[in-house]
Amino acid sequence: MAGSHGDERAWIRGAQQGSETDLESLFRHHWPRAYRAAYLVVHDSAAAEDIAQEAFLAAVRSLDRFDRRRPFGPWLHRIVVNRAIDWSRARALRREVGEGALAVVAASDRPENPQSQNLASALAELSPEHRAVIVLRHLLEYTPGEIAELLGLPRGTVNSRLRRGLDELAHQVEEDTR
Amino acid sequence: MNWHEPAPGESEAGQRTWRVVREAFTERLPAPRKVNWRPLAAAAVGVALLAAAFTPPGHAVLGSIREAVQGEKNAKPALSSLPSPGTRLLVNSAQGAWVVQSDGSKRLLGGYSNSSWSPHGLYLAAVQGDELRAIEPNGTRRWSIGRAGRLLAPRWSYDGFRIAYFSGRALRVINGDSTGDRLLTRAVQIGVSAWQPGTHTLAYVNRRGDIQIVDVDRPARHAVVRTRIAPTQLHWTPDGRTLVAVGPHVIAVFGQRGGQLRRLDRGRAFVVAASVSPDGKSLAFVETEAGRSSLQLTGIAAGPTRELLPGAGRFTNVIWAPDGRWLLLDWHSADQWLFIRSVAVKKIIAVSNIRANFGAEPSLAGWCCP
Repeated sequence: MAGSHGDERAWIRGAQQGSETDLESLFRHHWPRAYRAAYLVVHDSAAAEDIAQEAFLAAVRSLDRFDRRRPFGPWLHRIVVNRAIDWSRARALRREVGEGALAVVAASDRPENPQSQNLASALAELSPEHRAVIVLRHLLEYTPGEIAELLGLPRGTVNSRLRRGLDELAHQVEEDTR
Repeated sequence: MNWHEPAPGESEAGQRTWRVVREAFTERLPAPRKVNWRPLAAAAVGVALLAAAFTPPGHAVLGSIREAVQGEKNAKPALSSLPSPGTRLLVNSAQGAWVVQSDGSKRLLGGYSNSSWSPHGLYLAAVQGDELRAIEPNGTRRWSIGRAGRLLAPRWSYDGFRIAYFSGRALRVINGDSTGDRLLTRAVQIGVSAWQPGTHTLAYVNRRGDIQIVDVDRPARHAVVRTRIAPTQLHWTPDGRTLVAVGPHVIAVFGQRGGQLRRLDRGRAFVVAASVSPDGKSLAFVETEAGRSSLQLTGIAAGPTRELLPGAGRFTNVIWAPDGRWLLLDWHSADQWLFIRSVAVKKIIAVSNIRANFGAEPSLAGWCCP
C-alpha cells in the first residue's frame, strides 16, 4: 500500500542519501494532511501554507538526524499543530481594528462544498486548543493517548477538550444549517 | 463531516512549498557545483596570478583572494574610475551626498543625507534638516518641502512621478513635481519600502511585520502578504512580477499573487543587504556570522546559492552595476570597496581609503543608470 510505514522508511532513507525523488514522495504523501490540519486550526490559507512549509523545512534541516524507525507523520504533525496553536493565540492577542478587511493575496479561494464550508466556519468559532484536538482526532486520526503525547497534555484534558469541542462544533453546524 | 476534502489553496500551496522544500534540500546536500567551485576559483586565481605578472588590473584578483581575511593589499588608494562606462555612483556619508562620475571625478552635495537617484539619474531626492528636496546632480535645487519628524529613505517610483518617504513614524507620498504630498499610512515599520516597477504600487512592511502592497493613487486597493521573516529590505525584480523580502535570517521570494516562491533560510547568519540583478534573474546578498562576512549569489526563482567572496569583519552592502556586469561590495571593516566582475569573479578591482575619500559613515546609495 502506497504510503505504508515501510514506504515511508524507504523514502526517508532515500532522502537521507540525497534522493530528491524520495523526498518528493514523502512530501506529497504528507502535505495534504499537514496543510489541512494547519488550515483547520488557523483558518487562514496564507498562514497555513507558512506553518506547513516551516514544518517541512524543519524536517529537511533535521533529516540527517531523523531516526528512521520512528514514524514521520506524528513528528511533523506535532510541529504543525503546535505552531498553528501558537499562531492562533498570537493572532487573537494582536488582532487590530480594521485588519479583518485586508485582503489576503495568496490562495484566497474557498471550498465549493457548502458542508465543508460550514464545518470550516464552525471550527473557526472554537478556541485554538479545541480546534487542535478535534483536527488531530478526526482529520489525522490519532487516539486521545497519542494526542496527549503530541501536545504534551494529560489524557483527561484531551478527552474533555474533545468532548466540549465536538459539542460546540455540533451546535455551530446546527446553527449554520438552520 | 468530510475531513478529507482539500482545504482552500491546498494544491497551489503544495506546489509552491515543494519548490521551497526542494530548494532547501538541494542546498543541504554537498552540491557538486559548490564542491567544484573552489578548485575552479583556485584555477581562476592561478590564471590571475599569471596575469598579475603582466597586467596591473590582475594584481587586484590575486590580492583579493589571498588577502581575503585582511583586505586587499593591492587596492587602489582612491577611486579613479568606475568600471562601467557612462554610469554614476551615489554615496551618502556624514559629509553629505557624493555623486561620482565614471571617470572618478566626484562632487559633494554638502549637508544632504538619505539621497537616492531618480529613475534616469536626472535628479536626486535627498534630505536636508527637516526638508525633503529634489536636486540635480550638480546641486541645483528644484524643489523642497518641509515636514515635521525625522525624514528618511525617499524612493522614486520607476516613472519618476511619485516619491515615497518616511516622516517621523508615517509613510508619505509626494508627486515628483512637489505637488500632492499626502499621508499614506502610519501603520508602518520605518525605512522599508519598494516601488513595483511600471506602477504606482508600493510595498512596505506594516506594523505587524507583514508586507502590505498598495496602489498609492488608490490606497483602498491593497493586499497583504503575510510573513514571519520580519523584512528589513524589499526589492522587486525589474519586471515587477516578483518581490524579494530580506529578513535578518531568511530571504523570501514572493510571486505576483503573494505566494512564496522561494525561501532561503540562512541559519544563524545575519543577512545584511541584498541586490537584484538588472536582468531580474540573480540575487546577490551579503551575510555576516561570527565576525566573518560573505558575499553570496543565487537565482531569484531557483538555483544553488554559492559563495562568491568570504572576508573577515563586516561587509555592509552590495549593489549591481546598471549593466549587470559588475558587483560593488562595501567591505566596511577593511575600509574598501571591491568591484567584482560579473558572477564568475573574473576580476576584482579594490579601492581603499573610502572613509578618507568620502567622509565618515560612507554608504552606497545607488549605481545609476540603466
